[in-house]
Amino acid sequence: MSFRAKVFLSIAATAVVAVWIVAEVVSTLVTQSFERRDAQRTAALVNQFQREFDRRGVEVARRIEVVADSDAMQRLALNLAGHADTSSYFTLAQTVAQEQSLDFLELVGTDASIISSAEWPARFGYKEDWLAQPVDWKTQGAFLEKEDLADGQALGLITVRTVKAGDGMLYIAGGRRLDQEFLDSLPGSEGMRVRLYRQPGEVPSVKSDATVTTIPLRGRDNQLLATLLIENSRADLVALKRYIQETAAIVGGAGVLLGLLLSFWTASRVTRPLRLLASSVREVAVGKWDTRATVSSSDEIGQLARDFNGMTEQLVEQRDRMIQAERVAAWRELARRLAHELKNPLFPLQITIENLQRARDASPQQFDEVFRESTTTLLAELGHLKTIIGRFSDFAKMPAPQLEAVNINQLAREVLQLFEAQLQAPGRPPVKAILQLAANAGEVQADPDQLRRALHNLVLNALDAMPHGGELVFRTSRHDNKVAIEISDDGEGLTPEECDRLFTPYYTTKQHGTGLGLAIVQSVVSDHKGTITVHSELGKGTTFRIELKA
Amino acid sequence: MRRPVWAWLALSSVAISDATAATRPHYGGSLTVELSNAQTSPDPAEWNTALSMPITETLVRLNARGGIESGLSVAWQHDADWKRWRFSLRPKVTFHDGDPLNGASAAPALLAALKKKYSDVSIQTGGQAIVIQSSAAMPDLLSDLAEASAAVVRHSETNPLIGTGPFRVTASEPGHRLTLAAFDDYWGARPYLDSIAIEFGSVRTRADVFDIPVGPARRILPEGIATWSSAPRSLVAITAANVHPVLMQALALIIDRAPIVNVLAQRKGEAAFSLLPQWLTGYAFLFQSTPDLVRAKQLISQLRLAPMSLSYPANDVFLRTVAERVALNARDAGIAIQPTPNAGGNLRLIEIPLQSTDGATELERIAGALGMSHADSGKSESLYEAERSLLDRVIPLVHLRETYGISPRVHIESSKSDAFALHLEDFWVQP
Repeated sequence: MSFRAKVFLSIAATAVVAVWIVAEVVSTLVTQSFERRDAQRTAALVNQFQREFDRRGVEVARRIEVVADSDAMQRLALNLAGHADTSSYFTLAQTVAQEQSLDFLELVGTDASIISSAEWPARFGYKEDWLAQPVDWKTQGAFLEKEDLADGQALGLITVRTVKAGDGMLYIAGGRRLDQEFLDSLPGSEGMRVRLYRQPGEVPSVKSDATVTTIPLRGRDNQLLATLLIENSRADLVALKRYIQETAAIVGGAGVLLGLLLSFWTASRVTRPLRLLASSVREVAVGKWDTRATVSSSDEIGQLARDFNGMTEQLVEQRDRMIQAERVAAWRELARRLAHELKNPLFPLQITIENLQRARDASPQQFDEVFRESTTTLLAELGHLKTIIGRFSDFAKMPAPQLEAVNINQLAREVLQLFEAQLQAPGRPPVKAILQLAANAGEVQADPDQLRRALHNLVLNALDAMPHGGELVFRTSRHDNKVAIEISDDGEGLTPEECDRLFTPYYTTKQHGTGLGLAIVQSVVSDHKGTITVHSELGKGTTFRIELKA
Repeated sequence: MRRPVWAWLALSSVAISDATAATRPHYGGSLTVELSNAQTSPDPAEWNTALSMPITETLVRLNARGGIESGLSVAWQHDADWKRWRFSLRPKVTFHDGDPLNGASAAPALLAALKKKYSDVSIQTGGQAIVIQSSAAMPDLLSDLAEASAAVVRHSETNPLIGTGPFRVTASEPGHRLTLAAFDDYWGARPYLDSIAIEFGSVRTRADVFDIPVGPARRILPEGIATWSSAPRSLVAITAANVHPVLMQALALIIDRAPIVNVLAQRKGEAAFSLLPQWLTGYAFLFQSTPDLVRAKQLISQLRLAPMSLSYPANDVFLRTVAERVALNARDAGIAIQPTPNAGGNLRLIEIPLQSTDGATELERIAGALGMSHADSGKSESLYEAERSLLDRVIPLVHLRETYGISPRVHIESSKSDAFALHLEDFWVQP
C-alpha cells in the first residue's frame, strides 16, 4: 500500500469515525428529548381524557335523572305496578333519548325485560339481567358498559336509575357513546392520534414510526372492555434523525474528500523529496556518482538528503582514490609485465653481445662465425621484442566493432574447426570437443572478426586449462531476447580471487601468457553491449558465459 | 266452491260508537276522509283499502260470506263446459254521464279485464244481454267478474272514472285529493252523504274518517274518536331465494310472532302461520306453532350457515322494525341475518294485500305475488295441501288489519257493513 493511500485511509477513517460518533450522540440525545416530550403529552392527554370522562359521566347521570323524574317514566312505572300492557311504550326510549341527546337508553321492566330500547328497538322483550342485580344504582356513578347493537357492539358511558311504583320497578339505563368521535373531541397535540379498540383480540394497526401507549378501559366489574390507544407520531423525530444522518453522511463524505486532498498534499510534501532522493539513488546506481539530492527542508527528509549527498561525496572520493590506486596498480602491473616481457629478450641480447665481445677478444678467427650466429640471435630476440610491443599496441588500438548479422551456431562451429588439428595432434593429451548448439540461437548483430577472436581466446584459455586432456563444451542458447554462448572446460578450475582478477589486463595465471587474452575478450563483449561472466570451481573446471542482445 | 266465512266475523273488531244504532240515518252532509298513503290510481277500487268507495260496480259481487250475489247483472247462466256464459244486465241503470248501461257500453271494460286471464275470450252483446265465450272452460268467471278490476267503467277526457255506482267523481287530483258526490240517478238507494272529500298522504287525524297505519309508533287519538279494524287484509311474510328448506323451517321456528303482533304492529294484526287467514280458510290453526329455539338449532346443526340479508321496502317503517326483530331472533340461533333496505337479498320481507273473500282465489293470487305456482282446487283439503306446499318457501309472520279512526259525528248504517270493508254509502253524518 502506498504512503499516499495510507495517509488517505488514516484521515478518512478518522473523519468518518468522528462524524459517526457525533451523529450517534446527537441522535441519542434527540431521541431522549422526544421521548420525554411524548411522555408528557401522553400524560396530559390521559388526564384530559379522565376529566372529560368524569364530566360526561356527570352529565349523563344528570340527564338520566331528568328522564327518571319525568311523568312518562312515572306513568310507565305505574303501569308496571299494575301489570298493564307496556307494548305501547315501544318507541318511548327512542323519543326520550332524542330529547335528552342520549345515544343509549333502555327502559327495563321489573322482570329485567326490555320495554323499549333506543339503541336497538328490536330488542324489546329481551332480558337485561345485570340491571336486576342488587346494586344501589342511585349512588352508582357513570361507568363503562359494552352495549349490544344490531350492527355490533359499542362502548357506552352508562348510568342507571330506577323508578319504583308499588311493587313495580322501572330500570332506566342510558348514556352516551364512547367512540372515536368522543376521542376526537379531546384536545390533542399535533402528531398524536387517539383510538379506541373494543375487541380484546383486535390487533391495532400502528404506524411504524409511532410510539404507542395503551390505557385499559374497564367496566363496572373491572372487566376489560376496551383499550385506549394513544399513538405519538415519531415522524418529526424520524425526520430529524434522518437529517442528522444525512448531515453526518455529508460531513463524513466531506471528511473523506478532505482526507483525499490532504493525503495528496501530505504525500506530495513528504514523498516528493523522497522521490527526488530515490531518483538520485538510481542515478548513483547507474554510475553518476556526482549526483546531488535537493535539500528542501530541515526535517528528517532534509537530513536524509544531506546524508545522501555526504555519502555520494564519500563514494566519489573513494572511487577517485580507487581509480587512482587501480591506475597505479595497472601501471605497476604494466611495468612489471613490460619488465618481464622485455627482460626475457634483453637477457639473450646481453649474453649474445657479451659472447660476441669475448669471441672478438679470444678467438678472432672464430669471430665471424660467432658474429653470424650472434646477429642471428640478436635479430630473433629483437623480433621477439617487436612482437611483444606489437601485442601491446594492438590491445591499445582495439577498433570499434563493425556490426552485422552473425549466426552464432555457425560461428561456434567455425571457431572449433580452427582447433581440430590442434586437438587431434599426436602426442597431445586428448581433449574432447562437444558442441551443444540451440536450434533457436539465431543471429546477433556483431562484428564477426572480433567475436571470433574473443571465442578463439576463450577456447585457447580452455585448452590451456586442460594440460592433461579433458572435455571442451561449446554451448549456445537463446532466452528473453538474449543469446548466450558458454565455453566450459573440466580443468583444474580457478579460485574466487583469480576469478575476480581474471579480466584485468596483463593478469595471467600462465607462465607464457601476456595477460591480455581475457582482457581482449571482455573488451570485445563490452563493445557489443554484452556481458561476460565466469563460473569456476577448483578441481571441476571453468565456464565462461557471454550474453549478447539478439 | 266458496268457503263459509262466518268465522271472521268474530275476529273482526268493530268499535264504533254505540250511538249509531240508536240514531236515525240522516241524508245530506259532507264527509272528509284522510288516507296516509298517497294513492295514484284514479279508481278507488284499485286502492285495496277496507274503505270502499263505490264509484264503479261489477256484474256480480262477493258478499261478506264469500258468496256470489248480483250486481249490475241480474241473471246469468252457462253451458255444460263452462265456456259460454250469458248475463242479463240490470235495466234502467245509467252511467254517471247519463248514458244507459247496456251490453255494448259494458262490453269494452269487461273484455279488457277478462283478456288478462282468458286470452281468446270474446263478448257478444245484444240489448241488455252479454255473452262471454272462450275456448277454455271458465268455471271461476263469476269470481273473476267480482274483482274490482272487472268493474264496468268508462272514461272521458274530463272524467277518468265514469261508473254506475252510488258516488260519482266530481274532482280528481291523483295522489292528492278526490271529491265525490252522490249520484242521484243511482239505480239503488241513494247514499246518505251528499259529498265526500278525500285527502291523501295526511296523518293529521282531523278528518271525519282517517286510517291509522300499522306501526310501532304510539299514536294518541283525539278524544271521542272511535276505531274500526278490518279483518286481516294483508300478509307480511318472508320469501326466500336459494335458501335451504331446512333453514327456512328453522327460521319459521325461531321467529317469535307474538312480539311482532303485540308491539311492532300494536295489535293491528294476528300472528300468521299460514298464508291465508283463519277467517278465510277455517284451517289456519292447523299451522300454528310456538317458537322452538332448541328444535331450530337442531335443524341447522348440520348446515353450513352463511350470512344472509333480509331486504324490506326502504320506506316502510313497520317492515323495517319487523326485519330487525327477525334478525334478532335469528341471531339467538346463530343465524346471521342483516336487514337491508335494498332489494335482492337472500330473504325478502314483503306485504301482500288480501283482496278476495275467496280462499282459492286469494291463494292463487298470493302464489302469483310470491312468484310461485300451486295446484288450484276448490276442495279444502287440496287448498290446505297447496298452501302447505307453498310454506316450504315462505314464512308467514303476521296478518295485518286496517284500522280507521272515525269521528263521533259519523255514523254507519251497520246493517250494510261487514268486517272486510267499510262502505261509504253506509256512512251518514250528524247534521
